Amino acid sequence: MEKITDQYVWKALKEGDLNAFSVLFESYYPQLHNYGLKICKNVALTEDTLQDFFLYIYEHRQNLSDIDNIAPYLFTSYKRFLIKVLKKNEKLVQTDFSAENFVDIQFSAEEIITKHETEIFKNKKLNKLLNNLPKRQKEAIYLKYYSGLKASEIANIMDINYQSVVNTLHKAMKNLKEEISILKLFK
Amino acid sequence: MIKKQYNNINDFLDDHSFENWVHQNNGTDIGFWDFWIANNPDKKELVNQAKDLVLGIPFNKNFVTKEKVSFEWKKLEAKIEAKKPTPKRKIRTLKPLSIAASILLLISFGIYFINNNAKITHKTNFGEILKIKLKDGSNVTLNANSSLSYYKNESRKVWLKGEAFFQVDKKLVTNAKFYVITDDLSVEVYGTSFNVNTKKQKTDVFLEEGSIWLKLKNGGDKKMIPGNFISYSSEKKEILENTEIVNSTVKTSWKDGSLLFENLSLVKAMKKIEETYGYSIFFNDEASKNTLITGAVPITNIDICLKAIEKSVNVVIEKKDNNLIISKK
Repeated sequence: MEKITDQYVWKALKEGDLNAFSVLFESYYPQLHNYGLKICKNVALTEDTLQDFFLYIYEHRQNLSDIDNIAPYLFTSYKRFLIKVLKKNEKLVQTDFSAENFVDIQFSAEEIITKHETEIFKNKKLNKLLNNLPKRQKEAIYLKYYSGLKASEIANIMDINYQSVVNTLHKAMKNLKEEISILKLFK
Repeated sequence: MIKKQYNNINDFLDDHSFENWVHQNNGTDIGFWDFWIANNPDKKELVNQAKDLVLGIPFNKNFVTKEKVSFEWKKLEAKIEAKKPTPKRKIRTLKPLSIAASILLLISFGIYFINNNAKITHKTNFGEILKIKLKDGSNVTLNANSSLSYYKNESRKVWLKGEAFFQVDKKLVTNAKFYVITDDLSVEVYGTSFNVNTKKQKTDVFLEEGSIWLKLKNGGDKKMIPGNFISYSSEKKEILENTEIVNSTVKTSWKDGSLLFENLSLVKAMKKIEETYGYSIFFNDEASKNTLITGAVPITNIDICLKAIEKSVNVVIEKKDNNLIISKK
């Protein structure tokens, strides 16, 4: 079978091709589901908003702009969609409640592979150390190493430039290493 | 590569060869970077930081299952369908029979048209062989991990990805040709049997009987005679191989459900297994790579296939997730 590229799927979707839409749904649903869960920590809410989000995309397909790369577009729009719902649910009054304050990703111990090549990160408490990082660093780490996105795509989602993504990841890894070496001292 | 300056972390991250070194993937890159690091001790810290960024955090990704995704898709699909306007009812209220009749005619005409132009695709998974009989009477055997497409009203023109064996019926009356189209070339046939394999970024054609013409993507063409084996890559724009094969079963045995190895090195034989079953191959035992293997193994049963190889080459093959690991006995 031919590898169906992003542009092709996107174009077909805009023409109302339900098959193309199902391809898109099946390839991005798992990642967006996980991302939503990390943001709102509620399975039912994640699944409801994903249904509404994809339905919204399909119904407004004719207004979609042309894009080359679907992943950052879907991550960004879904995040915005979910946060809108969260804000409504929590009836928040603050006006300058930015997206960053909502995205506080937490990692569980089961989500870390303990048998791996990086000696330095062989630490049972790695998930706790990760959870203690600043929110932005956690989000960058999540998008890069969990969702497997490219730095340029992450820049798009986090609304920062490419260099800031690299710097954020760099800082995060440095922080982690420092924490681990401190832990080792007190062993 | 060597002239380049590596002064900040981006210089390393942007370099593909550096990534290869981190994952220990490519011999040349590993050699280069080992040498570079030994000669630039002042950059050691920077190298380590870049390496950490490439390796990252090893996550055990906890994504929803395929079943869950298709369940959610069904739900969404139902919502989309429900929102579609239902023209049927409107027509009934508009009533005039003539309108209904003409719409019905239009629909049936549409269905007829769509049916005739519908693209049909047959697809096989790893470890699966499919026998297809086309409308014109030609037989196609589709090998594992391959796909064959054609338009319903034109079944003598087929598109192939992967590997297939064709037995084309001669259409004496119309003298219509049969076409097989791949990324690299198209095969023009009158009536004959032949094998086409497009795996590995090239197209291999083996002619068992009859005669065929190859139209290569570079504009050239080539007549084949029985026993002829031609391998062409449109990427390299050249014929990679043009040989005579005496024992034709080596090229076509797969269609009867077995892979035939004739004095093939184990590493090449495992490559075939990789293509057929979709596993990645790892050798723990370098020495066994060149052991020659002769014999037939089944295409649709991986366990029996591996046991047969283990027995004949004296190695242990461990199946782990999607990997096959070959070690010394």
